[in-house]
Amino acid sequence: MGFVLRMAGRELRASWRRLIFFFICVAVGVAAIVSLRSIIQSLRVGLVREARSTIASDVLVQTNRPWTPEVAAALDERLGRAPIEGRSASIETATMARAENGAAVARMVELRGVEPGFPFYGTLALEGGVPYTHALVANGGALVRPELLTQLGVAVGGRIVIGRRTFVVRGVIDQEPGRRVGGFSFGSRVLVDLADLREAGLLSFGSRASYQILLKVREDGVDPLTRDIRRTFRDRFVSARSYKSTEDQIGENLQRAENFLSLVGFVIVVLGGIGVWSVTRVFVRQKMRSVAILKCVGASTAEVLATYVLQVGVLATAGSLLGIGVAALAMRAIPASLAESFGGLAYGLTLSAVAQGLTVGLLVSILFALVPLLEVRRIKPLMLIRGADLTQATPTAGTDGAPPQGRWRAAIARLDWVQIGTATVVGAALVGVASWQAGSWRTGVAVSAGFAGVSAVLYGAAFALVRLVQPLAAAPWFPLRHAVISLRRPGNQTRVILLAVGLGSFFVLGVRALQENLISEVSVGTERGGADMFLIDIQRDQVDGVRALVVDRLGPSADPIRLVPVLRARVTSVRGREINLATPGEVRGQGSLAREYTITYRDHLEANEEVSDGTFWSDGGGPATAAGAEVSIEQSIHDRFNINIGDDMRFEVLGRQIAARVTSVRRVEWAESRAGGFMFVFRPAALADAPHAFVGFLKGPGDATARSRLQFDLVSRFPNVTTIDGREVLARIQSVLDNAVLGISIVGGVALLSGVLILVGAVAMTKFQRVYEAAILRTLGAATRLLMITLALEYAALGLLAGLIGAAGALGLSWGVARFVLDITWRPAPGLLAAGALLTTALVGVVGVVSSAEVLRKKPLATLRAE
Amino acid sequence: MIELHGVSKTVPSGTGLLTILHPLDLIVPAGQVVAITGPSGSGKSTLLGLLAGLDSPSAGRIAIDGNDITALGEDALARLHGRRIGFVFQFFHLLPSLTALENVLVPIEIAGGTGARARATALLAEVGLSERGHHYPSQLSGGEQQRVAIARALANDPPLLLADEPTGNLDTATGRHVIDLLLGVNRQRGTTLVLVTHDAELAAVADVVVALRDGRVVSQTPGASREASPGLAAR
Repeated sequence: MGFVLRMAGRELRASWRRLIFFFICVAVGVAAIVSLRSIIQSLRVGLVREARSTIASDVLVQTNRPWTPEVAAALDERLGRAPIEGRSASIETATMARAENGAAVARMVELRGVEPGFPFYGTLALEGGVPYTHALVANGGALVRPELLTQLGVAVGGRIVIGRRTFVVRGVIDQEPGRRVGGFSFGSRVLVDLADLREAGLLSFGSRASYQILLKVREDGVDPLTRDIRRTFRDRFVSARSYKSTEDQIGENLQRAENFLSLVGFVIVVLGGIGVWSVTRVFVRQKMRSVAILKCVGASTAEVLATYVLQVGVLATAGSLLGIGVAALAMRAIPASLAESFGGLAYGLTLSAVAQGLTVGLLVSILFALVPLLEVRRIKPLMLIRGADLTQATPTAGTDGAPPQGRWRAAIARLDWVQIGTATVVGAALVGVASWQAGSWRTGVAVSAGFAGVSAVLYGAAFALVRLVQPLAAAPWFPLRHAVISLRRPGNQTRVILLAVGLGSFFVLGVRALQENLISEVSVGTERGGADMFLIDIQRDQVDGVRALVVDRLGPSADPIRLVPVLRARVTSVRGREINLATPGEVRGQGSLAREYTITYRDHLEANEEVSDGTFWSDGGGPATAAGAEVSIEQSIHDRFNINIGDDMRFEVLGRQIAARVTSVRRVEWAESRAGGFMFVFRPAALADAPHAFVGFLKGPGDATARSRLQFDLVSRFPNVTTIDGREVLARIQSVLDNAVLGISIVGGVALLSGVLILVGAVAMTKFQRVYEAAILRTLGAATRLLMITLALEYAALGLLAGLIGAAGALGLSWGVARFVLDITWRPAPGLLAAGALLTTALVGVVGVVSSAEVLRKKPLATLRAE
Repeated sequence: MIELHGVSKTVPSGTGLLTILHPLDLIVPAGQVVAITGPSGSGKSTLLGLLAGLDSPSAGRIAIDGNDITALGEDALARLHGRRIGFVFQFFHLLPSLTALENVLVPIEIAGGTGARARATALLAEVGLSERGHHYPSQLSGGEQQRVAIARALANDPPLLLADEPTGNLDTATGRHVIDLLLGVNRQRGTTLVLVTHDAELAAVADVVVALRDGRVVSQTPGASREASPGLAAR
């Protein structure tokens, strides 16, 4: 053991320069793992800490329709039996706010009315360090965000109008617990007293509001109470969540994100591992003579192997430590805007991420180095006398003339079972590490299988390539002839380069293609055109007034406002079959038929609709018909729930049961549904006299001042009507998306950079094979140009093949992940993949030539002597 | 003492089997200097490889001090090489990443001997390189490298020293110096010395010269400066 330690130390002293690339490969991979995982973990720690203050209570009971006396009584009865320590009601709704005297501007705000006791957890931070008490909002007080004051031109002490009520601004909200700066919202927060909110006349018929009860509950009562309320009220659209379920839900999403990012990190490490493998192979070749000498002076194979495994271990440790250092630096470089959008949490390395990075770095390097290192077992000291090239450890000559059966037997006899066994163990260990990093056996096995599949294809492609170019070995052009000879000569690097570059480009292009898919997914629907202002909660008696006001402001030549009646309904039966409800939350998530739908009625088709079956209103859609209620369903409803023309459906609309027969199926072009798309459209007769509100769509003025003037006028005349400025919402969505895109791009960039770096190195390492031959060709009179063309041809052929296979794999990868993991629309990104394949070709060609430049410059004698 | 009985070597080639060494018997008594000579391709190096246990014969038996080495495994052979056989090569074959002193240290450390450093230093002094111990092989001349290689070969004081063209890569004067060193070792330590050489001067100082041609022993004669040895026989 003493000898092994001393020898490893001495060897490292001399060979670390040659192994520097090994070191870099490990460092890049470990840096990726540690930083990606640390970010997510920091995020999670912060969120868990915040979980209680996010909902400001232990348990939050919520519904989006007013409490009916029956539900309220049942709820009170339940709560009476639970260990409740505090209770406070709250209502949240999106509405408009304007200054009483001041700028003629109206802004959309998220209004929250609260009672004493709010918040049970977390602190509402007010500017100037004023502590929050309920007295600040009681009796017509309001707390607002600073941006609203600026927008409305109001100062603290000024008055703002919301709905039909006037409020005095008594303070400025600095930070509200649980509300994220970059998170999406319709407007800035305004906090008022619950009783005042009720008086403001905003909760008119069909208004969108969230009615909440905040509860402070003894710890042991939290889970039973949450479960009890969920179970009891699930069919009355009342939901309950505890701070624990918030934690679980966010935590689960983060866990998924963490595992996904870790997997990306792991794949980078595997790419690094391929680099390690490539370096070790070359290293072993260079060390053959030293190994033979050591064996000649008495070292056993085990001792020699241990010496080199120890070196690999030391380098891997050092590389991992460097990687951790790089990760620590990278964490500091995270843009502040990105950190802020996730709640302004501090990012730092987490201990567990560091430990994992170190373990994975060591494990992967040793695993990848082990198989090539086993070659040292085959090196015989005899080479020192015979000077033989012992790369072919066993003589292969002599089997050529043997009968096929004997050839097979010889081939089997030549198999190195120790190496095959080790490779199997290494493979299994890698699957294990992948699964550990992905947090799931399924994903781990899938990723490993993907790698193995692409490797197998690449390996097969190497054989095919050698066969395919065979005829070119007789080509009259010298560089081409020699490039082909190089590709198929014994001990060639064809397979190594194809494997390394093919896997590398597969992964890099795959991540890149996914990134394009993700980004184009998030930018869909943000293109301009069509209606860009939306009015909601217009009551029936306000319809004419709103229409007149818009015509007055925009002029008669402008597109008139489109007013669409909307009702909320849910399907209770189809063909007499009851629809069973799961919890509303589940329903919403899974898109079941039992969810609540927004429905409308009209007598015509919209531009983005076409009838695919049946007739849109049997007799032209006149209001008076004896045929009974009719409904038109959207194609996806037809497809998913197997509802057909002629089926009888029952709907519950605002407590009333309405029966309707399906008379047509429509196909809606959702991408153009800015003017609204509906799953269910009723014939006017059935719903026209049911109580309902209208939604208005209009193309607002182009000028920002005119837009806010229009909003202001609307809200002054119709206080309960909310105007959503599509442009502002888009801008807000865009800023949230920009952060997401930035995040995705950073991960993609890290992957791209590490992939390219490792590829460059893996290709550069193969130059040692070329050195000797180039030198001999030089002595035979080959000019530098000729050698360069030969090298470029050889490497470019390999690069092209690897790039094409990698691109094909990436196509499959992006499809699979988009479809099954991320659930987004898949786009093939052909331009990217074609460019990727070409770039790979160019990259491999250039790197191959450039890394051999030293060889081409060197006097041939120096090279020949050194050999 | 080394004994070869019916030892031959054949390798497969394109058309069939190629005989590199035809069956031969050879006995090298302890303490002698034996030179193996012959033109290129005559089987000299193959014979040396077989003697050393670096290669295995196609037929026959090889024994060193009565122990059959043809039956030994890789690791047992490695131990044998480390303790009982020293090697000197035409191309020196020093470990390039180690200093001269460390190159001499390696075999002692592998064998687990004590006082390694003192012994290695003494050996370097013996070959006249006490000042060059911290130099790397690339910083030494060919003659110096070969002297380091001899010091390394003697590190565990082996009873048998095998040398493959030890002067083949050196100029005449340096070669002469190396020959003196090797003969000195033979005289002072009683080390058996088997040399493969083209060098007539070196062959001339051997106790016995075994001449090979096309894989057969064509003559065994006493060296010019010594008496013929009665123990040497060839078939």
